[in-house]
Amino acid sequence: MQIATPVLALFRVCIYAFLLAPIVVVVLASFNAGNFLTFPPQGLSLRWFWTFLQNDVFLDAIAYSAILAAASTAVSLVIGTMAALYFVRHAGREAETVRVGVLLPLILPEILTAIALLFFFYEIGIGTEHKIALFTGHVLMTLPFVFLNVTTSLQGRDDSVELAARTLGASRYTAFRRITLPLIAPGLATGAVFAFIISFDTFGVSFILKGTGSAPLPIQLYDYLRFNFTPEAAAVSTVSILLTLVLVTAADLLFGRKA
Amino acid sequence: MKRFRSYLLIAPTAALIFLFIVLPYVTVLIMSFRAPADGQPYGEGFSLGGYAQFFGQAYYAWSLPQTILLGMATTLICLVLGYPIALHIATASRKWRGLLYGIVLSPLLIGIVVRSYGWTILLGNSGVINATLRNLGVIDRPLPLMYNNFGVILALAHVFLPFMVLPLLSALQSMDPAIAQAARSLGARRFTIFRRVTFPVSMPGVQAGCILVFVLAISSYVTPALVGGMRVKTTTLLVVDALIDQFQWPFGSAMALVLAVSAGLIVLIFARLTRMKWT
Repeated sequence: MQIATPVLALFRVCIYAFLLAPIVVVVLASFNAGNFLTFPPQGLSLRWFWTFLQNDVFLDAIAYSAILAAASTAVSLVIGTMAALYFVRHAGREAETVRVGVLLPLILPEILTAIALLFFFYEIGIGTEHKIALFTGHVLMTLPFVFLNVTTSLQGRDDSVELAARTLGASRYTAFRRITLPLIAPGLATGAVFAFIISFDTFGVSFILKGTGSAPLPIQLYDYLRFNFTPEAAAVSTVSILLTLVLVTAADLLFGRKA
Repeated sequence: MKRFRSYLLIAPTAALIFLFIVLPYVTVLIMSFRAPADGQPYGEGFSLGGYAQFFGQAYYAWSLPQTILLGMATTLICLVLGYPIALHIATASRKWRGLLYGIVLSPLLIGIVVRSYGWTILLGNSGVINATLRNLGVIDRPLPLMYNNFGVILALAHVFLPFMVLPLLSALQSMDPAIAQAARSLGARRFTIFRRVTFPVSMPGVQAGCILVFVLAISSYVTPALVGGMRVKTTTLLVVDALIDQFQWPFGSAMALVLAVSAGLIVLIFARLTRMKWT
């Protein structure tokens, strides 16, 4: 048994490296000065970031993804929080059904859900041209993450404070706004950050439902990667990773300690 | 009245799930029985043509067992890699736990396209691994690491490893450390403790993780497409191809449903074999 322990420790280090390797490699590749992704890199340079900043296709895609993510996060934040309130306080015996129902978009394969939505929107005569299908898909994909985070946040509190406020004459709405909402704010923030990142990164629904015209960032990146091998894609990916890190860190600094 | 008001809280979500999950899935089921047609997504009337086309052509029919094997291999690798990690995090000190947890979760926050792209940089013919080995003089010709099952399984295992670690971790953390200590003080060796105590306790996590990874792996699109370079044909790739590129909706739907039902059956068999308790 004495020999096994260092072997196991080495194995663990390898697994952690395995988890981080592809991400580290993408970031390093974006500083490559060469025309192609060669290893070892032909010198360091920021030229691919410069190329990317002059490429409207990727800039448009980032803006488009950000707007889509913000809009779908806003919707799922409202209805997901309502669903979480119902689940924790009123669901009773149907609790399990409610939970599975809300989590369905997460449990079912995303690509199959996207295909199902494609058919459905065609059958009702809307199709994918109006972006309603794409938006719906993104709300579905983000909803479970808001629900999970707000539920955890609500379960950590007892609702006696809100009851006390009600006894002291606060209306149902005032009690919610002044008492419950500030208490579950960290859960809402984490849920919103998760939802935004999921929408920003998700592939299946965007790929199937994007319609014609501008497309979200992951789709644009995927299309580019099928035919191009320059480090520009790595620069785009690095910027996308950076955006995620900034968002997560900001949420952690603002709400992390209280959560 | 009070009851009715509380229903208003769940109403938007319930409507959303019913309209945009339940009804669309029913649409797929109906679509799979529609008649195929040329030049348009589907024709008049109903038929079993979509299913016949799938099972009648070896190219399509064989993709099913291959996809399932691919999913099983990915699941097995995730379990072998995920278990030591989950065990490590569950027993780590508070200070380390946060960092290790972050490392495990970090891939989830990076888009699946970027992660798959990272693997193409690592595994390509002039990629990091092959270039390093060639510069060291270990190999003359690049090893075939990409555009085959090996590369796809490796990348899939990476993409879905967090989904194995998380359920394992929650099962392991619910275990009372006193049980293992009791076994140890009664003279059990470490491997015996693992086999007789830790592993059985973590079984719900193993089951949940395996089912999650298997279903995600067989239905993933980007990773096989980028790392497999369209040379590894999973059923999911063929489904999207039939629906989006060839516009054969009944055929694509039939294929998707055959894959979904097969996955469901395998999950049921797995649950029965491991005596899973559904909760």
